[in-house]
Amino acid sequence: MGAIALAIAFLGVLLGTIVLQASGAFTNYVLTLPVTLEREIADPRGDMSEASLRRGSYNQLIQRSLQSEFPAASSRADLRELFGLYSGLNAASVMHRVIADPSLVGSTIDVTMPANHEIDLYLKGVTVEESITAGSGTIQAGAISGDITLSSDSPAFANAIARIRQQASSERDALLGRAARLEADAAGAASRDAREAGLAAARRAREEAARFDTVIDPETRITLGPRTASLLIRLNGGVVAVSALTPDGREAEGRVLLPLESAEASASWSEWVIETPAAARRITDQQAVYARALEERGMVERRFNTNLFLNADSREPELAGVMGAFIGSVLTMLVTMLLAVPIGVGTAIYLEEFAPKNRLTGFIEVNINNLAAVPSIVFGLLGLAVFINTFGMPRSAPLVGGFVLALMTLPTVIISSRAALRAVPPSIREAALGIGASRTQAVFQHVLPLAMPGILTGSIIGLAQALGETAPLLMIGMVAFVADAPSLGLSGLTQPSTVMPVQVFLWSGASERAFEMRTAAAILVLLTLMIIFNAAAIILRRRFERRW
Amino acid sequence: MQLSLITALALLVLTAVGFLAGRSRALALAEKDGSRLHSLPGYHGYYVALWAGLPGFAVLAAYALAGTMIVNTIVLDRMERAAEPLQARYELALANDDIWSEAEREIARLDDEMAALRGEAEQVIAAEGVQSDAVEALRARQDELQFAQDDARFTRDARANTIAGDIIQAVPEAGDHALARAGFEFARLPVQEREVFLADARALAFGDGLASRDTPELRATAGALQPVHSAIAWGACLGALGLALAGLAFARTHLAVRFRARNRVEWVISATLALASLIAILTTLGIVFSLLFESLRFFAAIDWRVADFLFGTQWSPQTAIRPGQIGQSGSFGAVPLFAGTALITLIAMMVAAPVGLFAAIYLSEYADSRVRAWAKPALEILAGVPTVVYGFFALLTVGPLLRDFALFLGYEDAVTQSALSAGLVMGVMIIPFVSSLSDDVINAVPQSLRDGAYAMGATKSETIRHVVFPAALPGIVGALLLAVSRAVGETMIVVMAAGQAANLTANPLESVTTITVQIVTLLTGDQEFNSPKTLSAFALGLVLFVLTLILNIIALRVVQSYREKYD
Amino acid sequence: MADSAAPAHTAKTVYHSVANTHPVKVAASGVEVFYADKQALHGINLDIQDRSVTAFIGPSGCGKSTFLRCINRMNDTIDTARVAGSIRIDDEEINDRAVDPVLLRARVGMVFQKPNPFPKSIYDNVAYGPRIHGLASGKDELDAIVETSLKKAGLWDEVADRLDQPGNSLSGGQQQRLVIARAIAVNPEVILMDEPCSALDPIATARIEELIDELRENYCLIIVTHSMAQAARVSQMTAFFHLGHLVEYGPTEEIFTNPRDRRTQDYITGRFG
Ligand SMILES: Nc1ncnc2c1ncn2[C@@H]1O[C@H](COP(=O)(O)OP(=O)(O)O)[C@@H](O)[C@H]1O
Ligand SMILES: [Mg+2]
Repeated sequence: MGAIALAIAFLGVLLGTIVLQASGAFTNYVLTLPVTLEREIADPRGDMSEASLRRGSYNQLIQRSLQSEFPAASSRADLRELFGLYSGLNAASVMHRVIADPSLVGSTIDVTMPANHEIDLYLKGVTVEESITAGSGTIQAGAISGDITLSSDSPAFANAIARIRQQASSERDALLGRAARLEADAAGAASRDAREAGLAAARRAREEAARFDTVIDPETRITLGPRTASLLIRLNGGVVAVSALTPDGREAEGRVLLPLESAEASASWSEWVIETPAAARRITDQQAVYARALEERGMVERRFNTNLFLNADSREPELAGVMGAFIGSVLTMLVTMLLAVPIGVGTAIYLEEFAPKNRLTGFIEVNINNLAAVPSIVFGLLGLAVFINTFGMPRSAPLVGGFVLALMTLPTVIISSRAALRAVPPSIREAALGIGASRTQAVFQHVLPLAMPGILTGSIIGLAQALGETAPLLMIGMVAFVADAPSLGLSGLTQPSTVMPVQVFLWSGASERAFEMRTAAAILVLLTLMIIFNAAAIILRRRFERRW
Repeated sequence: MQLSLITALALLVLTAVGFLAGRSRALALAEKDGSRLHSLPGYHGYYVALWAGLPGFAVLAAYALAGTMIVNTIVLDRMERAAEPLQARYELALANDDIWSEAEREIARLDDEMAALRGEAEQVIAAEGVQSDAVEALRARQDELQFAQDDARFTRDARANTIAGDIIQAVPEAGDHALARAGFEFARLPVQEREVFLADARALAFGDGLASRDTPELRATAGALQPVHSAIAWGACLGALGLALAGLAFARTHLAVRFRARNRVEWVISATLALASLIAILTTLGIVFSLLFESLRFFAAIDWRVADFLFGTQWSPQTAIRPGQIGQSGSFGAVPLFAGTALITLIAMMVAAPVGLFAAIYLSEYADSRVRAWAKPALEILAGVPTVVYGFFALLTVGPLLRDFALFLGYEDAVTQSALSAGLVMGVMIIPFVSSLSDDVINAVPQSLRDGAYAMGATKSETIRHVVFPAALPGIVGALLLAVSRAVGETMIVVMAAGQAANLTANPLESVTTITVQIVTLLTGDQEFNSPKTLSAFALGLVLFVLTLILNIIALRVVQSYREKYD
Repeated sequence: MADSAAPAHTAKTVYHSVANTHPVKVAASGVEVFYADKQALHGINLDIQDRSVTAFIGPSGCGKSTFLRCINRMNDTIDTARVAGSIRIDDEEINDRAVDPVLLRARVGMVFQKPNPFPKSIYDNVAYGPRIHGLASGKDELDAIVETSLKKAGLWDEVADRLDQPGNSLSGGQQQRLVIARAIAVNPEVILMDEPCSALDPIATARIEELIDELRENYCLIIVTHSMAQAARVSQMTAFFHLGHLVEYGPTEEIFTNPRDRRTQDYITGRFG
């Protein structure tokens, strides 16, 4: 029936979109550079002590290496764009390598690091649309670097001009259409204010449309800017960014982004059009050129993204990973399990097997049923007020998170354990009591073992819920940005940390586009964990399903 | 830490020894007496082990919980006493100081003036409303006074610092005087810095963590901490071990052939189980009292205008900068949040109720076992998906989709974070909840009712519409109420997909905010714990708790009475 | 029900004279049981002889099981149940606070209507009692106890080679004998059986009846039964209960051939119940 199909279709869409979004995050582009560890920079004090090696400026070394790849880049602006290809945080890993093996100082090592996330997205073709077509005709460059003129005897750039004009006129038409619609709406608007607003918006749209007029006009020079597509010309092993074209298509002005090998006339050139206007993307033409050049030289390649799994959180998406949150989750779940399962099962045993049926136990029962339906965020408020503000426990700590989640999970464990205990037929208890076992012996030696599969199933399901819980942990400060994974041990219990679902929440709110796919990937990791939990529960249920 | 760890290990060993000793003694007794033991030798062992382990561990736990606090109290007390002469000299100096006294009087005078101003403002507000120019003028005047008072405070504190500095200068650094200086310094520290001071002193004394400063005063405090700490630590550890030994010896003398060791041990077990079951009650009490307590503080902070909170339509908790600021404390009107919650819940239920119900009817009445075999797990997976995942989906897929669709239809103000996208996704989240509860309810309708209808020649759909559905209706209503309670309390989806704007609107395409969203907003990020802004989150939590509790109680009642009808 | 109007306090039990061939093992006097506010037994006075089989008969709901459960204090395990009056076993008051009901139940074994072996091996089923009561000091001794118990219950020959198989893999009759062996294994003095054959087929029933007859040599057996024929076949003494009252008690032959109370007569001739 439709309802089921709808629910399941939704599940499919949900999983489908997430898998699709996540797929980009499992690989990333890495930059491999030969870095020479010059002595005076890596070891400023010159005594090879660890303290000295820690003060070395490794980023400078990486920068030098990168600079030597592009000797033409010398202006500050050029260098800033060049060094934007990676994050300076990567210097830390070089430092760790050197500290682990000081003998490296003085030698040249290959440093592999993830490319900046915007570069990564560009190379993956996610954020930027571009196309390369072979050029026709012969063109001649005026010089091999700087601002140059490209000229040709044939209208070599006619194709490009046609394309630019077409794009411009379609955008202009869209704007004019929008303006017309706004005006029509305004005419029928209910209030004066609405009409004014509509007309103003229409006017703005018309003004914007007018800006395309010069581009479209066949008589004027065409200038390219941040709001138009970029036209790059690849010629003689270099790249020129075109800034203006004559209307006849025979001449182009531009700036050299990658030096040409020679200024000879050549017929083998190509047009590289970056259709996404510079204003709408986060990387410059220059960076695109650097990235493609490095790719051609084999220094940038796509690899499996190990950072995503092995690193803790980072401000830089390319370095961010789920490891910290994973460890936080493990610690939190350990605390939750160690508290919720024994207390929950103990409560269930007491209520089901020992407690006299009186007012008090009736009250406890009602109380537990209601507790099971209390919104999880309320448990977070409890944790904040009681554990943190009253008992002075540390904020953001897995210990407190575990406490809160344990209290939240408790009703689930109790209710399912009671059901499991109730499912053990009374004849078993009678049999044990009848030959002189005490109540405790009957319960612990006969009833409990028989109820165990059910209890475990319920507990696992409760823990799986706790694993996916976010809201109460926000209350106790587990939303902090934590760049170091907590240590996997007793001391980790009080260190600031976060957990998988909160990591998902944090990343989903990050502004960098690259975090989007990482969020989806983190969700997949989380879902995998949940599926493992639930599968364990189902297997247990199947294995030990028993008929008396 | 080391010491208590070793003690804990020793206690474990003693417990094990107790077990062995108890068991072997029981066996020996049985041998000598020639008759059967009342309890198995193992129980005698457990009995002795309990006596050996429990008191010792209790002492150790008490020490772990309260040890640091006791040490601090003792040392601070000692410091205070050492600093008494300094303190007296300081107070005398302050009293005799003209500048200080003048500033103090000025502060008091400004306080009075501001109180008068507030009284005047109340009248003006009552007469002309909050928006009037008169109120603006009063507010400006208040800011002026406040500024003057802050000035006076600064003068006073600066003067006090100078005087304190002079007094400290006069005291030599060495020996007992250092402790006096430390006590004096500590007494003058603001509360939040006292903790830092103590932490630094502890770091210097025991090397746990790094000290942020290292001064003679801190050294002196550290020096005072050390002996007290070790005395108490040794006392607790030796006490624990002594108790363990005494318990062991004491319990061993109890053992006899007729001694009911099993009953004693089992009593401890059932007492432990009973204690475990109290945790659930304690949790509820904890929730109720912490919410109530903090809410009362909130209401006190907004001058008990509970009605303004419950019925006010203006929610902007950020604007009340200072307590008592004129005309600014009326911004805790929670109606927009209630309305937002209701709107989203309504949308969610409009999705979840029909789909969930039809799914349940289909699964329990029409589906063959093959369909059930995969539909049920699929619903279970849907139920197990964490809500952040739904939130992410709402934010990145459903929200933009709905916005684009609205734009396409010509609705210009469409936004990504809308009540509609949060509500729709939340509805989907609740579907499995509704369907599994309704499934149970429908399955509880006795087969005999259906058979009766079929016997009268009703078709399947007639039977469902006229017999099964009406019979199951109370149970279904209960299930839907539980689902509503679930929707009201759901947090992550709305936090991520509904937005923060406290709009009072019924337009599902606008951003709205809910109770849970505001709780999260108010309590994440930087916060001082005592501001009305932070406390208001607890008042919202109280509303949420009461609301869901009422829904649950009604729902559980309905479902229960329904069950009883057919059981 | 013709006599349901008979007021409780006037109901007098008819006791037949008994040849005291065996000493009294269980002596009940003034036993009353309440389930919450509902009285299930009214002033039961009854002496039960050792080394014989006593049958409790009566229409269902008349309190037979309730009385049986008084003898090993199984009613303690029901929250709402309250027991008053005195029951003495070998002159020792079992309702005394000083008596540990758990130990009492080792002395007074019980077999239930539906066979209820533990879902464990045959061996563990029988060995469980001796283990928790510390009756065996080693594996050999325990093996011996299991073997003799199974032999006494007439099950040894059938299960000797598969002691490690689960108890509930046996047939219903075998299970019931296993349960009897389990009860015997703790050396009880009294064995209570609550309709032990009602879930069994006639052949298994015959086997159990045979066993009951053998056990009479060593134990005091008390058996609740719905089948008059069974009572007549296996018991020496019979007690007839009705609406919570003990109506008539005496040698089985006399009760069946010469009932003195109208209600007994009606029941035995099948007029009600
Ligand atoms: N656990 C119990 N709680 C409440 N009433 C009970 C319970 N057990 C038995 N009764 C009531 O006590 C009366 C005697 O029951 P029972 O001794 O089981 O009868 P019999 O075994 O003779 O059929 C019946 O009316 C029955 O309803
Ligand atoms: Mg019965």
